[in-house]
Amino acid sequence: MIDLKGVGVTYSNGWRALSNVQLKIDKGEFVFVVGTTGAGKSTLLKLLSREETATEGTVKVSGQDLSSLPLHDLPAFRRKIGIVFQDFGLLPNKTVYENVAFALQVTGASRQTIRRQVPYVLDLVAMSHRPDAFPNQLSGGEQQRVAIARALVNEPFLLLADEPTGNLDPETSLGIIQLLNHINLRGTTVIIATHDQAVVDFLQRRVIAFEQGGLVRDEVVGNYRATEAQEETA
Amino acid sequence: MIFGSLTFLIGEAGRNIRRNGLMSLAALGTVTIALTVLGGTLWTTFRMSEFARSQPEKFNRIDVFLPPKAERSKAQDLLEKLQNKPEVKEVTLVTREEAWKMMEESQPVLTSALDENPLMDKLEVELKEASQVSQFAQSLRDKGEYPNIDKVLDAGEEVRNLINLSRVIRVIGGGLAVGLFIATLFIIHNTIRLTVFARKKEILIMQMVGATPWFIRLPLLLEGLFHGLMGGVIAGGLMLFAGHLVSQFVTSVHSPLSGEVPSLLSPATVFDIIAVTGAFLGILGSHLAIRRFLRQL
Repeated sequence: MIDLKGVGVTYSNGWRALSNVQLKIDKGEFVFVVGTTGAGKSTLLKLLSREETATEGTVKVSGQDLSSLPLHDLPAFRRKIGIVFQDFGLLPNKTVYENVAFALQVTGASRQTIRRQVPYVLDLVAMSHRPDAFPNQLSGGEQQRVAIARALVNEPFLLLADEPTGNLDPETSLGIIQLLNHINLRGTTVIIATHDQAVVDFLQRRVIAFEQGGLVRDEVVGNYRATEAQEETA
Repeated sequence: MIFGSLTFLIGEAGRNIRRNGLMSLAALGTVTIALTVLGGTLWTTFRMSEFARSQPEKFNRIDVFLPPKAERSKAQDLLEKLQNKPEVKEVTLVTREEAWKMMEESQPVLTSALDENPLMDKLEVELKEASQVSQFAQSLRDKGEYPNIDKVLDAGEEVRNLINLSRVIRVIGGGLAVGLFIATLFIIHNTIRLTVFARKKEILIMQMVGATPWFIRLPLLLEGLFHGLMGGVIAGGLMLFAGHLVSQFVTSVHSPLSGEVPSLLSPATVFDIIAVTGAFLGILGSHLAIRRFLRQL
């Protein structure tokens, strides 16, 4: 479903964020992308959401080459993926219900669809009890649950989360990761860029590690850190 | 679906204005002040120009007095002579009897105190061009040419000054109009840009959830329209109110120049022009701000 071939990203200031990345992710996978700050994790996610474009190689998502995706097709592409931000990215002047509904409204969804889908995803993320609250009235964990609900409401085939637990305490972080795991078990491909060793080690899923823009480790079932044997091999 | 989206976007603009109350109020206040200054200056300039232009029309008349108790035939001869001058539009003879009768009606106390009619026959000479008043009046003062004229009254210097003033006002007003229009557009553009900038993150999120550029743009354009139109309506109201007060003051002042000068533009038209200008500047300002902003993201 996701296929990167010889992908490199060099910014206009000369910074090389990614180089020669070869990567395949199948439908329904759950993948942690790990690495230090500046290793290239966020750039990978930005490539997949077409916030950035590759300066070398090809990035294909669902068979669509994102480098050649026309700008007017970008909104339609984005509606098929869900994005979760570290800082939650909720619209501050909208209630929980309105924030989630907004992702449907931009697609021109009918009122009936909105009335059906929004309560459903709010229930899924255990936030159906506070539909009228504004983001500043919620805890960090609750805000992230609402952000996940918004990302899910269009039933995306791919969910991208950039440091979704970065602003949360360990206990809340585990709750969010379990929620994302639950979503993955329902069939959505989930890719998470994270620094959070605890959640990666807890879930024991595929781990892709980046260092200085290069993909240095890809384990089907892995931990945040490489084992000594792997380090010696590397 | 399109109607549903449009209803949502209009509602969205309304919600944004309401929920960003303080920012909206600041934007509305700035737009109102900018439009009041623009409209007020242009309206004042326009009215001054109209006033200055109307004044010479009042002074295209020369009053020519014959000597006391001059024979009526001399007045008739002079009338015919002046009537044939190319500069003259019309000459009217006001006999001393007619003048006395008018005076009796307007100032009965004064006329009752007088034993006899001291007035002179008068020719009211109306010229085709107000600018010729001074020169023509001077020619009438030539005793060789016009021995039967006792006195000539005109407002030559005042007319020349008013004509010059009218020209100056037109030139300055034109320059001010262009300059102030650009300045107002800049102020409104900047004000709306601030409201757009305050929502930079919001716009980024909209893009990430798949909102089309028009979906992002339309509520912001409607907000710009609202701020511009409301600012224009309030500015128009303020101007009409101020205009009414000034008009009341001017008519209360007794001066040869006072008196109602009819305007080409009715108060309702002035109000409409300011409101429409506000709406136009609001939409244009927000369009420019959003276009520049969406390009940066």
